[in-house]
Amino acid sequence: MKAILLVFLILCHGCHHAQQIIKYEGNVGETAFDPKVDDKDFTLCNENWTGQYFHFTSNSRYIDRKAFIDSVFFYEFRANPSAEKENGLIRIRFIVNCKGETGRFRVLAIDPGYKEKTFHESIVSQLLRITKGLRTWQIQKMNNAPADYYQYLIFKIVNGQLTEIMP
Amino acid sequence: MKIILILLSLLPILARTQPNCNAFLYRGDTLQYRACKLVENIDDKYYQFSKEFQEAYDEALKICPYFSYAYREKSVAYLKSGDFLTWKELMDKAVQYDQRGNLGYRGWCRYQFFRDYAGAIADIEKLDSLVHSDIGTGSNGDYNLDIAKAICYSALGQKDKAVRLIEEKLKEQNYHVGLYDYYQLGVIYFELKDYDNALRSFNKQIEINNLAEPQHYIAEIYKLRGDLKSYGEHHTLALSLFESNRRLFDPYTHHSNALFRKDYD
Repeated sequence: MKAILLVFLILCHGCHHAQQIIKYEGNVGETAFDPKVDDKDFTLCNENWTGQYFHFTSNSRYIDRKAFIDSVFFYEFRANPSAEKENGLIRIRFIVNCKGETGRFRVLAIDPGYKEKTFHESIVSQLLRITKGLRTWQIQKMNNAPADYYQYLIFKIVNGQLTEIMP
Repeated sequence: MKIILILLSLLPILARTQPNCNAFLYRGDTLQYRACKLVENIDDKYYQFSKEFQEAYDEALKICPYFSYAYREKSVAYLKSGDFLTWKELMDKAVQYDQRGNLGYRGWCRYQFFRDYAGAIADIEKLDSLVHSDIGTGSNGDYNLDIAKAICYSALGQKDKAVRLIEEKLKEQNYHVGLYDYYQLGVIYFELKDYDNALRSFNKQIEINNLAEPQHYIAEIYKLRGDLKSYGEHHTLALSLFESNRRLFDPYTHHSNALFRKDYD
């Protein structure tokens, strides 16, 4: 009887978890327009489908801009002494539209233990400002038509310093 | 050589192969068998990022809450969109229910996507303590996990340890040398200013897989030694290979020690 009860409890725990993650607004990572934070002049070519940066195999891939992107961030980012204990990862994700413009920026951050974290404002605001200022994004095509796509940058912060940029 | 390259290029696909549902049945695990059958071929049916894909795996988890493969499959879209938070929660579940099957994958992703060197080492070393055969490769097949671990140690500044780990791996009987193993070894030797061993490693690399990056480093070593003729030859070769896209490549991110166009100037 005890064994049956134990199995039941394990199953209920599992089902509870599954139910917790069952609500989906749309595709994973889909970023709907939010009038409170997004630029209303930033528009998409196709509201029904937005690709991912790695979907495109043209010669103007993200990786070919990587050295330039690194140089901009490492040149412009200034570590703040009051943020020298900050460690973790900050992801800034956004959409590059069919005209090569960027918008719908979203920030997500974790500490080294993968727990959600709020970083020192001076770090986040700098990274966001520099990201919004980048004009390096290429227009990508899907079936010969310019397409919108998601791009992200992940910044590794060690003791308040920017040490690596992914992907 | 060509055959090896073709096989290696297939590895990322092989790594994503679904589990054999009948294996669960053979072990008498009917819950996991039923969950597995529910999502059989689902990867071909739905886009990995779609809500239908996620919901299909949620249905499988309703049948069997410890079906680790479902957590792992659900995690992939989060990984590819840079959502380290949700990805880690899902992969922790996958590892909880099947350590041997998922520790290597989680460790590899921590390195490849997030440069979480310490986390990757911890996962790979934990896996190593559980298995008594080859530890396997990262999910794209580019590196054996022991080599990936060494790259992580190198990134953390433990370069002598990294060299030792790679040299030991390369000496193992029946080890199939990876596409970039000797390049990564050469870079670490170069950073240690051991140019003889760096040159030996880069030459070995170009025998196996001739790329712009090792040619660039060979040129640099000749320049340091004042052999400008050899420097020029290898520099020209490196540029030519770079322009022909014969370089380290990963569709999702960049390799450790990847070089970019400006590095060849």
